[in-house]
Amino acid sequence: MRGPAADRPARILAVWCPDWPEEPASRDEARAFGQVVAAVEDFCPVVEVLRPGMCILGARGPARYVGGEDTLAQKIAEAVRARGFGCHTGVADGQFAACLAARAARPRHAALVVPLGGTRQFLAPYPVHALAGAGLAGPLTRLGIRTLGDFAALPARDVASRFGAEGTAAQRVARGQQARRLAVGAPRADLSATVEFDPPADAEPVVFAAKGLAEQMLAALAARGLSCVRVRVEVAGADGQESARLWRHDGLLSALAVAQRVRWQLDGWHPAPAPPAPPAAPAPPAAPEPPATAAAPSAGPGETGAPDGESPGGIASLRLVPDQLVPGEGRQLGLWGDDLVSDQVERAAVRLQAMLGHEAVTHPVLAGGRGPGERAVLVPFGDVRDARLPADRPWPARIPPPDPATVYPVPLPADVIDAVGAPVTVTGRADLSAPPDALTAGSGPWLAITAWAGPWPVTERWWDQPNATRRARFQLVTEDGTAWLAAIERGRWQIEARYD
Amino acid sequence: MRDGISQLKGLLPGYSPDALRVMGETVTGNTAFTEDAVLSRASVLPALPALAGLLPAGGLAKGSVLTVDRSGLLCLALMAGASAAGAWCGVAGVPDLGVAAAAGMGAEPARLMLVPDPGPGWPQVVASMLEACEVVVVRLPARPPAQARRRLEGVLRRGGGVLIAVGAWEGAWVRLRVTQRSWSGIGHGYGSLRACRAEVVAEGRGTAARPRRCWLWLPAPDGTVTLDETAGVPGVAVRAAW
Repeated sequence: MRGPAADRPARILAVWCPDWPEEPASRDEARAFGQVVAAVEDFCPVVEVLRPGMCILGARGPARYVGGEDTLAQKIAEAVRARGFGCHTGVADGQFAACLAARAARPRHAALVVPLGGTRQFLAPYPVHALAGAGLAGPLTRLGIRTLGDFAALPARDVASRFGAEGTAAQRVARGQQARRLAVGAPRADLSATVEFDPPADAEPVVFAAKGLAEQMLAALAARGLSCVRVRVEVAGADGQESARLWRHDGLLSALAVAQRVRWQLDGWHPAPAPPAPPAAPAPPAAPEPPATAAAPSAGPGETGAPDGESPGGIASLRLVPDQLVPGEGRQLGLWGDDLVSDQVERAAVRLQAMLGHEAVTHPVLAGGRGPGERAVLVPFGDVRDARLPADRPWPARIPPPDPATVYPVPLPADVIDAVGAPVTVTGRADLSAPPDALTAGSGPWLAITAWAGPWPVTERWWDQPNATRRARFQLVTEDGTAWLAAIERGRWQIEARYD
Repeated sequence: MRDGISQLKGLLPGYSPDALRVMGETVTGNTAFTEDAVLSRASVLPALPALAGLLPAGGLAKGSVLTVDRSGLLCLALMAGASAAGAWCGVAGVPDLGVAAAAGMGAEPARLMLVPDPGPGWPQVVASMLEACEVVVVRLPARPPAQARRRLEGVLRRGGGVLIAVGAWEGAWVRLRVTQRSWSGIGHGYGSLRACRAEVVAEGRGTAARPRRCWLWLPAPDGTVTLDETAGVPGVAVRAAW
């Protein structure tokens, strides 16, 4: 792999399904993506999933097989669309460019192929913010370097001396090269980590064990000065079924990121021999020939609500195999946001997560937004995630301070009536039908309203129909001294928060 | 005997730890009390200045249980003082916690651990949280079993944490509740909620047996908690209302 070949990035085909959100949340979403992967696996057995909604594969071999990259990209997009999902594919040098190419294909084309060697020109007009993470975009923009083309044109030596290993990797990406050179002469030692479950376990404890297992694996890698960008997760069910999948990460995989990918894989796995369930992952063997699984995926599109992803017999073993090793240069992102978390707290949180599940133990991050429910985001303990909407921006029409002490995660249904007992309504011009007189929240008693303010109309995200909100907010004080933040949306009253 | 040591520390602030330990052993008749245990129990976690007058020790006495009637601003304010001083706070069973309000009173969100739904095993969850957090807020089920209460009291005694229970807890050190409140800044169709004057009553046992009441701005216009200076001398125990 030394010489020019080591520097020449692989031709990568990216499959992007816009139906999945950027931040995958629900288990159903992760599960449904198994169908897309199954469709792509008809063309190439080694598919690397970046996250639900995005996967990549090496284009060179399959393209030769079907007769050209254009044909391959078209065929894969058609195959996925045949299952009822929106899909765009892109081919370019390297994963980063391929993913951008898939996005660039939208909305007019199903596929976009960046010709061999043309990746640098393709990337040049993109803003430096396209480079995820690394915190580079801010400094670069302040230096007047706004596009990837500008960044790629900088002397590599200067980038290395100013931005270190991360900067070098980012610049190599911007130039259409591989971010990191592959570690040559992979170590002979077996660096995989395995855990057996006896008795077979459900998904939740397995995910939890995966975190520990990943730490073990990464520690073994770190001892050799290596880290990995791709990991192979092999799960064996008690009933003998197996699922193996490659997961790739933009940066370097952390233990938590590995555990999250195990969760996605388990969510998408249907080891049960139930007839309607697709064998989502037919344990892709490392064999290079495309498997003839045309008959196997019998699932129709839209069969996303399959009953339960967990194996009836449980999971018998989990194996993590670090797949693509790179020299471990620079620090991996801290598992915790900062050094605030002492060992004691971390231990307690881990113990609680073992009892209740990873997502049941959270810490809040202040966020931006107009409604009270948007002011804080609960992040699972141990995850590092910034609020999507920053808190330190002006939020015109936000609820004036003070902040309510009780914010209902799901607004309480409520009724508000005027003095004659008719429901209070608000017109499209924010005119009130009559002053509110009494309130009942949830199934509580009717309370007389002693003071009120409003309506404060809010129309948010009208350009994004599924997430659009159009409501009028009120503050109501009832006879018991409690103040409520109420809102009326489509004629229905709800209580968003309580001041008490 | 639980309050013996904390009373001792409060009464005899100038004594050395050794002397306190000897006294602690003498008072309790229990030689198992180590210096650390005595000291950790004897000290208090800071509370917001406005609340200091309501609490007999001037703060949250370690190892004690406080109750509040509901998980409102008063509950958050009790937690905020300790959190601002660097303590970790855990909250169990309060999925509707107003994080922004807590932060407005000085609590540090980065040092909060939330378990919105601890489930039926809540005593175990709270015990685990008490190992890491100095202050734990828990919304109790309607009838907390006596066994669970005793177990948690044992954990508190050993570890020196503070439990703020939302609901009823028999034998709590201090019980706080809001008896009256009036909002200002809002009228009939104009203005907005600006501040709330609230009367808070603290009752309890031991040193807290005398009811204390005071008027607070809960919250003040800037989201903090301050004493309402207009309502007489703050924090002075009034005669029991007979």
